[in-house]
Amino acid sequence: MGLLQPLLRSLETGSVYALAALGIILVWRTSRVMHFAQGSMGMFSGTAVAFVLNRTGAPLWASVLVGAVVAIFLGFAVDVAVIRRLRRATTVGKEIVTLGLIMVFLGLAPILFGTEPMLLPKAIPDGAITIGDAYLSYNGLLNICLGVAIAATLFVVLQKTKIGLAIRATASDDSTARLMGIPTRSVTMLAWATAGVLGMLAAVMIAPATTVTPTFMNTVQVTALFACVLGGFQTFYGPVLGAYLIAVAGNYLQLYVSSVWGEQLLYLLILLFLLVRPNGLVGKTYLKKV
Amino acid sequence: MSDAPTTAARLARNPHVGFVVFGALLMLLPVLASSGLLMTSTLMTLGFTLIYAIVAMGLNLLLGYSGLISLGTAGFMGLGAYLAAYVQDDLGLGFWVAVLAALVIPTVIGVLVGVVSLRVRSIYLAIATLTISEILLKTFEQAEWFTHGTAGKQSRYPVLFGVQADRAVVFLIIVVALVLVMMLTHNIVHGQLGRALHAMRASEVAAQAMGVNVLKYKLFAFAVATMYAGLAGALYLFFLKSSYPSTWNLFLSLNVVAMVVVGGLRSIYGTVVGAFVIFAVPELVLKRLPVIGDVSGLPYIFSGVLIIVAIMFFPQGLRGLWDIGRGLLARRRRPAEPVETVRDEVGVR
Repeated sequence: MGLLQPLLRSLETGSVYALAALGIILVWRTSRVMHFAQGSMGMFSGTAVAFVLNRTGAPLWASVLVGAVVAIFLGFAVDVAVIRRLRRATTVGKEIVTLGLIMVFLGLAPILFGTEPMLLPKAIPDGAITIGDAYLSYNGLLNICLGVAIAATLFVVLQKTKIGLAIRATASDDSTARLMGIPTRSVTMLAWATAGVLGMLAAVMIAPATTVTPTFMNTVQVTALFACVLGGFQTFYGPVLGAYLIAVAGNYLQLYVSSVWGEQLLYLLILLFLLVRPNGLVGKTYLKKV
Repeated sequence: MSDAPTTAARLARNPHVGFVVFGALLMLLPVLASSGLLMTSTLMTLGFTLIYAIVAMGLNLLLGYSGLISLGTAGFMGLGAYLAAYVQDDLGLGFWVAVLAALVIPTVIGVLVGVVSLRVRSIYLAIATLTISEILLKTFEQAEWFTHGTAGKQSRYPVLFGVQADRAVVFLIIVVALVLVMMLTHNIVHGQLGRALHAMRASEVAAQAMGVNVLKYKLFAFAVATMYAGLAGALYLFFLKSSYPSTWNLFLSLNVVAMVVVGGLRSIYGTVVGAFVIFAVPELVLKRLPVIGDVSGLPYIFSGVLIIVAIMFFPQGLRGLWDIGRGLLARRRRPAEPVETVRDEVGVR
C-alpha cells in the first residue's frame, strides 16, 4: 500500500472532524460557550435522519433535510431557552450547562427514536476512482468535497457578507457589537443553528462506518475539541486545519506505529505540542485584560 | 465565630464532631440491613452513593475554588479500581498497599496532565482530562494483563488486620474514608491553602498580585480531586468485587459534575446530598415509578435537566435552598431578633 491511500482515507474522516470543529468554534466565538454538546446534538439529529430513513423509507437526501430542520430547531431552542438566559453565569457555568445538554440528548434519543441501533447507508453506495495505486470511493470523494466546500462557503460568508461581518463583530466583542446596532441575539441563534446542522452533517457522514447509537459521536466530539485546541480558538480556519491534521497524523500513526494506540499516541503528542505553542497552530497570543 | 460557647456547645459546633456523628449514623445502615429493615440492594446503592460523594468532594474543591472542570474523573476512578485489584489480587500485596497505589498513581498522572494543560488556559484542563479519560478507557479495554479487558476484572473482599471483610465491613470502610475525606477537605479549605484558594476565587489577578502562585494552587486542587477519585475507585472495587471498562465512561464523569452542581459548590454536606440525588434517587425512586420507570434514558435526562436548572436558577445548588429555608425558619421563629447568619461549612464569605 502506498502513502497516498491512507492520506485519502484520512481526508474523508478529516472532513467529519472539520465540520464538527467548525460548529464548536462558531459557538465559541459568538457566545463564548465551550460547546461540549456539539457531538450529542449531532448524534440526536443524525439519529433523527436514520429514524426517518428507516421508518418511512424516504430517500437519504429527504431524511437529511428533515434532520437539518431538527438540527436548526434544536439550535434555536437551546440558545433561546438556555444559553441566552446565562448572561450572568460564569464561563464554567456555561460549560457545565452544555455538559448537562449532553445528558439530556443522550437520554432523549432512545426514548424518541427507540433503543435499537440503526444503520445509515452511504450517499453513494458503490464505485470508486483510482489515483495511481490508491483508490477512493465515490462516497469518500463526496464527503471530502462536502467538507471542503462547506468550510469554504462558511469562510466566504464570514469574510464577504454582511451576516459574516455581524458574526465577526460579535465574535470580537459582544457588547460593542450590540452598541453598533448588530442584532447579536440573532447572530448567536444563527451560530447555534449552524453548529447544529454541521454536527448533523458530520453524524450522517460518519454513520455508515458505524452504527447509530447514542454514543456514536463521542470520538468525533473529542477529536473536534482537540482540533480546536490544536488549531487555536482565535480563528475560524485554525480548527479546520487542526481537524485535517489530526485525521492525517492519526491515520499514519495507526498504520505505521500502532494500530491500537495510534490515536491515543496522537492525543498525547498534541498535549505535548501545547507546551511549545500554547495557543495552537495559528492562535494569536491571548492577552487577558485586567 | 461564636461568642462564648460552653464546652458542649463548642463541641457541637465543631465541624469535625459533626462529620464523626454523620459517619456514626451512616454506620447504622449495615445494621439495619442485617436486621432486614433495609434491602441489601438499597444498602449497595447507598454505598455507591457514598463512594461517589468522595469523588464529588474532590471535584467540588476543584470546581468550587479554582473554577476548573475535570472530565477525567471516571478515568482516574477506573484507574484506582484496576490498580487496587491488580495490587491486591495479582501482586497479593494486601489492602493497604492497594489503597496506597490507588491514591498515588492516579495523582501522579493527574499532576502531569495538569502541568501541561493548566499553563495555557483553564478550559484546556477540561479537554485534556477528557482525552486522558478516553486514553485510560482504551487502556482498560486493551491491557488484558492489567484489566482482563472487556471480560471484566474480578476481585474479592479485602483482608484487614488478618480478618476477612464482608459487604458490611467494606461499607464501614467506605464510611470511614468518607469521614476522613470530609475532614481533610474541611481542613484544606480552612487552612493556609484555603485562604489562597479563596483569594483566587474572588479574583485571580488580585490573588496573583498578592503573591499567590495561581498555577500551583490550581494544580493542588486538581491533584486532590484526582486523589479522591483514585481512592473512590479502589473503594468501588472492594465494594462491588469487579470492574468493567464500560463503567468508566464519560457519563460517569458528567454525573459527578452534576452531583457537585446540584449539591452546591463549596459545600461538604451538599456534595453528599448531591451524590444522593444524582445517583440514589434514579436507582431507588425513578426506576420504581410506573410507566416511565422502564424508560432507559430517564436517569440521564434527570441529571442533565437538574444540572441545567441548577445553573440557571439555583447557582448555589441544594445548599443554597437549604440556606434560604433556614433563614426563613429563623425569621419566623424569632421575628424580633436579627436573623442568624447561616453558618458556613466551608467558610464562603
